[in-house]
Amino acid sequence: MMRPTAAQRLDLWIRQSTPMALTAILAVLSVITIGIPGYASVVPGYTAMATFYWAVFRPDLQPASALFLIGVLQDILTGTPLGLTAVSLLLLHAFALSQRRALITKPFLLTWVGFMLIQLPVSILAWMMMSMLQFRLVGPEPALFQYLVTVLGFPVVAWLFVRLHRYVVR
Amino acid sequence: MAKRPGSFSSVAQPVRSLWSRFAFATLIIAAFALMLLGKADVLLVDRTRVVVLDALAPVIEVAARPAEAVTDLMNNVRDLRYLRAENARLAVENDRLDRWQHVARRLEAENRALRALTNFVPPKEIDFVSARVIADGGGAFVRSVMITAGRKDGLALGNAAVSGEGLVGGIVEVGEAYSRVLLITDLNSQIPIVIERTRDPGVLAGDNTRSPRIVYLPQNAQVLPGDRIVTSGHGGVFPPGLAVGMVTTITDGSIRVTPFVDWERLEYVRILKTGSDGVVQPESAHLPPFSVMGPETAPRSGGTKQ
Repeated sequence: MMRPTAAQRLDLWIRQSTPMALTAILAVLSVITIGIPGYASVVPGYTAMATFYWAVFRPDLQPASALFLIGVLQDILTGTPLGLTAVSLLLLHAFALSQRRALITKPFLLTWVGFMLIQLPVSILAWMMMSMLQFRLVGPEPALFQYLVTVLGFPVVAWLFVRLHRYVVR
Repeated sequence: MAKRPGSFSSVAQPVRSLWSRFAFATLIIAAFALMLLGKADVLLVDRTRVVVLDALAPVIEVAARPAEAVTDLMNNVRDLRYLRAENARLAVENDRLDRWQHVARRLEAENRALRALTNFVPPKEIDFVSARVIADGGGAFVRSVMITAGRKDGLALGNAAVSGEGLVGGIVEVGEAYSRVLLITDLNSQIPIVIERTRDPGVLAGDNTRSPRIVYLPQNAQVLPGDRIVTSGHGGVFPPGLAVGMVTTITDGSIRVTPFVDWERLEYVRILKTGSDGVVQPESAHLPPFSVMGPETAPRSGGTKQ
């Protein structure tokens, strides 16, 4: 058996860390302002989309510890209570992983429906946790809008993930 | 002897799976612990947040540039379409403002004369710094923006941030060169205000929607749609008299205010350096003072103090 050269190993390492690097970049991107009315309140959960995608298609490249760190990073960036996004992403990862066999062989449309179904309890849970942390009911509308935008935006972002998956990660 | 990698992995697989489950549970628990720590206002958590924010803000600043260019381009194209109409509107508005300026100057002179008569101790001039908004802490649960000024510019927790239109929010996290402003629409924002017309005091409480509510109004307060809301200065955190918004809807039990600030075009904010105890810090006296009317023409009267 031939041992891979240093260059090959570096190449492999870069390819394999692409998914998590991308999710981290998406966490930063989600706080960038765009002059669309009301954008900030309904900014799609890019990291949630990425987490779901990689949990279904390459869970080996998505370690839970990295997800935790990215979640905390996003919490710091957006100013949400520390740990809230981290829990959401970890749960999304776990749910998607448990349904992976059902999701992976299906046509994309069903994967999309799978994302809708799995993201829903995660969003509700995040809303409940936020309400508990605030000791009162937080208005559910923004969370609902964000869920809808995230779910509806998934195919567009997933298209990008598919390209990366095919040509970069392999 | 031939290697049999399969036999090893068949033993290792359940162990690894058990380990990964344990690690996963640990991470979930850690996240919950973080939430509780954050809720308990542990100083370390706050400091960590600020340090990470300070370290990452330059990255965001760079990443925001292409987005800004796109936004600018979109705005330019939109503006071009309405150029003629906009010009006409501005001419009319300029006319009106000229008249207002006239009235304002007269009132200011009158005000000054009356103050001199009554030995009124004027509120001190407030220093400010201007900062650019680099990130909009989006998401469903928080309304905040990140700005390019921090401790090195003399900012402190609780300073008020205003735009040209009115009050934007208060500083909640101060980094070395970057800070976070909690917007007045945020769930955790509660600002003492008065109804400008009736002087009824109340508190403007955000609830993450675009129109915050007024709570704790006196029983007999008579609020009408269109009433202007300004900060009252109670509690000493924000200076009094900052324009906040206008009452737009009144349904039983809930009075909603539309802030004057144009949230979609919030590019720069002014931070009023009043200190969280409401005491003006005179450290940067070389800066022009913050005043609604622009620089005063008359010399500062020193004789009003007793």
